[in-house]
Amino acid sequence: MSELAGRIAAYFAHRMPEARDVVVGELARIYGGSSQETFRFRASWSDGASKVERPLILRRDAPAGLVVAERDLEFNVYRALAGQRIPIPGVHFLELDPHHLDRPFFIMDLCPGKPGNPFSPDDPYDGHGEAIAREFWAILGHLAAIDHGAVELTGLRNGEATSGFWSLELDRWEAILDEDEAIIEPLIRGAMRWLRRHPPPEPMKPAIVHGDYRSGNFLFTPDGRISAVLDWEMCHIGDPLEDVVWAIDPFWPITRHLPLEQGLACWEQASGMTLDRKALDWWRLFAAVKACVIWNTAEASFISGENRDMTIALSGVRAGHFHRKLILKLMRERGAMG
Amino acid sequence: MNFNLPSAVKGVSELLKTRVLPEVGDNYTANMARMGAALLNISANWVDAAAELRVAENAAIRVLLGEGACLVEDALAARLADAGKSSDPGLKISVLDAENHRLRLLLIALQEHLEARDAEAPRALGQRIWCLLEQIELDRAPRE
Repeated sequence: MSELAGRIAAYFAHRMPEARDVVVGELARIYGGSSQETFRFRASWSDGASKVERPLILRRDAPAGLVVAERDLEFNVYRALAGQRIPIPGVHFLELDPHHLDRPFFIMDLCPGKPGNPFSPDDPYDGHGEAIAREFWAILGHLAAIDHGAVELTGLRNGEATSGFWSLELDRWEAILDEDEAIIEPLIRGAMRWLRRHPPPEPMKPAIVHGDYRSGNFLFTPDGRISAVLDWEMCHIGDPLEDVVWAIDPFWPITRHLPLEQGLACWEQASGMTLDRKALDWWRLFAAVKACVIWNTAEASFISGENRDMTIALSGVRAGHFHRKLILKLMRERGAMG
Repeated sequence: MNFNLPSAVKGVSELLKTRVLPEVGDNYTANMARMGAALLNISANWVDAAAELRVAENAAIRVLLGEGACLVEDALAARLADAGKSSDPGLKISVLDAENHRLRLLLIALQEHLEARDAEAPRALGQRIWCLLEQIELDRAPRE
């Protein structure tokens, strides 16, 4: 870890040639984010007359993991959404040259607060669950209302499309599954065919979709406020319902803290849009399929030896089973078993 | 020799949990050790029945492929009929998995044909396939 700290300090000196006495300390890897390696550290340097000290985060590409994103995507989203009523960390350096820290990375602020563990049997939000859930839905509503063109995010996946987002996303996840699936899973393929045979209505407008908006992917402070929404590496343009159903997926349901209808009302108030509740059903199955593809990719990267992170391995085993069972339940509700 | 793979893997899992984990100071590494122990435990519980489970699964798929042969068009019908009469080429897990993948591909091809037909017999077989997929998932559930 001290070697990495030295290399980070050298990088800061490279990016800030005017800075003197750059020191990187308290470096520790953060358990959690498994599609990127995340480290916290404290950097200090002398800036002419004054000494500067900053708590920061290093987000570095994993060798392989869940679904590998475009290298600069998350950094660009953070930069574009600054000042848009979405709590996010400030970002500093994006580095795509692997020469410095072996893989591409970026540096961002360490935000106050802590994540809630959605898998904990205890209250993950220290008694603030309802208030946090309301803010969670309102933030998602604000995100859906943003004109992605106005914040220069047309470069995101589907950024130029105006319709057919369900199909574009389903095609994408099927292509990822085709790449990684060692033993084909008929129940996932069967659910994909059902989704194609029963397309959902078009969204009211194309929205910025976080892609992994859920309990566990944001920080909250002791006063019960959300201080930062994190993990934007799957961000794209699409149907806002994709994030809504991801948030209520039974693996990490925000509905544990606020009934769905109340949450949707918060979303509608913040977005200024009326949510099509009938379309939720299609997107629920889509979410389970998407989750299965992510877990399959995780499993494949562990088996191949590209990534030996135990989070990746257990995601493939436990979460994969959970979401395959969920697909079966949803298909049973659709009459697949008679 | 009484030594066996499940016992060995469970032993290492226990060692990680009870001896290594308490000595690890770093939070990230401790979590990796804890999850590694859980993964070993799940693997140990899979090992003993791994071949039996795959043989049974392949046999169940073959039954449905054989039944499907009379409900689909000629080219696929012949492949389904052949698969329905086939047997596992060996008992190594890797061999059984390869055969499982081959049979699953045919099962998907059969499902696609059945879904395109609006009649009682194809619908009923399609439903039995989904019931089998449900059973397969239950049989393969990770046990901790």
